[in-house]
Amino acid sequence: MKELAGRLTALDPDAGAAVRVIAYFDRLAEHRAGLESLVRGAAVLAGCPARLADAGRRVRLRVETDGHRRDTDQPPDPAWPSATLSPDGVPALWLERAGAPSVVDAVILERAAAAIRVVLDRTRGRAPTARADDPALVETLLDATAPEQVRLHAARQLGLDPATRARVVAPFDGPPRIVNASARRGPIHPQARPSAPGPAPVPARGTAPTHAGSAAPDPGPAHLDAGSADTALPPGRVGVGPAVPVLELPGSWAAARTALRFTADGTPHDPGPRVVYADELGGIGLLAELVVPGADPPSDVRALDAAVADAPWMLTTLHAVASTASLRAAAVEVNVHHSTLQDRLGHAEALLGWPVRTPQGRLRLQLALAMRHLGRT
Amino acid sequence: MTLTPPPFDPELAAVLEMIKDTLLTQLTMDEIEAHRNGPGIEMWADMDLTLGGAFEVEDRVVPGPENAPDISLLICRPVAPATDGLLPVIYHVHGGGMVLGNNRVGVDAPLRWANELGAVVVSVEYRLAPENPYPAPIDDVYAGLLWTAGHAEEIGADPERIVIAGASAGGGLTAALALLLRDRKGPRPIGQMLMCPMLDDRNDTPSVYQMEGLGAWDRTANDTGWTALLGARRGGPDVSPYAAPARADDLSGLPPAFLDVGSAETFRDEVVAYATRLWQAGGAAELHVWPGGFHGFESAAPQTVLSQACQAAQLAWLRRLLAE
Repeated sequence: MKELAGRLTALDPDAGAAVRVIAYFDRLAEHRAGLESLVRGAAVLAGCPARLADAGRRVRLRVETDGHRRDTDQPPDPAWPSATLSPDGVPALWLERAGAPSVVDAVILERAAAAIRVVLDRTRGRAPTARADDPALVETLLDATAPEQVRLHAARQLGLDPATRARVVAPFDGPPRIVNASARRGPIHPQARPSAPGPAPVPARGTAPTHAGSAAPDPGPAHLDAGSADTALPPGRVGVGPAVPVLELPGSWAAARTALRFTADGTPHDPGPRVVYADELGGIGLLAELVVPGADPPSDVRALDAAVADAPWMLTTLHAVASTASLRAAAVEVNVHHSTLQDRLGHAEALLGWPVRTPQGRLRLQLALAMRHLGRT
Repeated sequence: MTLTPPPFDPELAAVLEMIKDTLLTQLTMDEIEAHRNGPGIEMWADMDLTLGGAFEVEDRVVPGPENAPDISLLICRPVAPATDGLLPVIYHVHGGGMVLGNNRVGVDAPLRWANELGAVVVSVEYRLAPENPYPAPIDDVYAGLLWTAGHAEEIGADPERIVIAGASAGGGLTAALALLLRDRKGPRPIGQMLMCPMLDDRNDTPSVYQMEGLGAWDRTANDTGWTALLGARRGGPDVSPYAAPARADDLSGLPPAFLDVGSAETFRDEVVAYATRLWQAGGAAELHVWPGGFHGFESAAPQTVLSQACQAAQLAWLRRLLAE
């Protein structure tokens, strides 16, 4: 083996060396060799230290050319030749060598990674990508009554590093999903909402604000950040729980379901945000405990329902007033002239019995709209 | 009786696969010459015997047995020993099936121990069979030991602390040397380290048949080695214990022994039997049977996890022996 390692590290990438490397790892796999044996094989055959790191499955080991295991806390150098354990995965196996890998290095990495993947699948659960939505594992992880060890095991099988944070996503129709919190930045804009399907709320010509030049960019109808985790959110109405340690995911799940009750279809018949983050609700979230779906609605919601029944434009108009920064923005949102909006709001206030153009009245309207969502069955 | 062989250790199975072209698994008499100049032997000649400058290395020619040529000793002394006094000496006998090798083969292991423990290494060159059949090899080994004991202080070594050690055929010769020294009342080594030793010319234990065609040294190769040494006497009624120590009737009064062997090798049963007989004779012996090890696995694949455990056991035994 000594002699062989010397021969293989020579720059001569002869086919014989590659064939022997393949035979070596095939034989290891055949005998069900463990991870350390595989990483040792890579190190000895390549003639440089080799390391394996898979955070999701809590695997980290490093073997030097003398075959001894010597782990390190130092991060791998991105310039080292490396291999992933799945087609779209991050690098997980490295040869600690500068410069471009030789043909033999590439064969070593490829064969070692393939054998390592098999061992990991056998001993630590299959690759997370294959199981990210395994319903039984997700259910276990979200069950506060399940023993901690069982939940930690489920987390690892799902590819979640117990040392990091994750959040639960509650779709309106479909099973809960768990996303790694590290994939997303902080909370997004409080008023963020997805773009509505159907006609986009583009202002018609001639109805644009008169003082367009001085108008600040409208923060109201900001669309969802196209962050990596958000693009991973399922379509449709979604409540998103707070980012928590994996053992606290049952709490994130409960919060996600609460957030889901604040979502809407985002259509003219049901305007409102399709995605609601629990940790952006603040005190509004407390309303969810007070309003029981299907029960007699509070009087403000009854007044709101009556007003909505009176005119087809009522709901979208009131939602626009409640969710934009100014009446001008609200007029743009519902695509009417400012004076038309004023007329409509006069009518609405008469039906509702409270003003919607004062700060207090606007808050009351926002609460009524929120409670209306919460009261749905 | 079943002839199912024990499985090889996973890493060792992979190494075997890679080095199979260079192995002597089924060595025959007419292949000996080619292997003597083969890549395996050449590789050892390339080794840095100074271990990066830690040892000064000398080849010294000393008198051989009576009416026989001089012999060559490879002497490796620590350049900067930790103590001023005389150092223990590891007297090494190389392997090679009685027919191959030189005093560089396998000397890396004793050099590692010596580096760790502060010792002198002496590795003896002996005449090889079949050109030089029994007793030429053991006579040379014996002569080299006598010189080492008699001139120990010349090489900074303590004649009272000689450990004799060898692997494979060297292990067999080492065991024979212990018997000879006992019977001729020669210098008494403080320990004998018998690594996968070749002890029994009868070549007929269950492990011999179990491992036929497998590993690094099978029944055919073993027959070749013993026949080279003993000719037609091999396996017969009148083989000396100084040729094949398994033939000894009396294993009492020998220095403490360390024996190791792989579970998946030809020599397994004869080594286990030898250790058992040492105990039965009231001797001190430590035996390791490494699961899934093929013959000589430690030197062929020193990086593997089983070899690491094997090396650690060898070093630990020496440490205890020399601490006395």
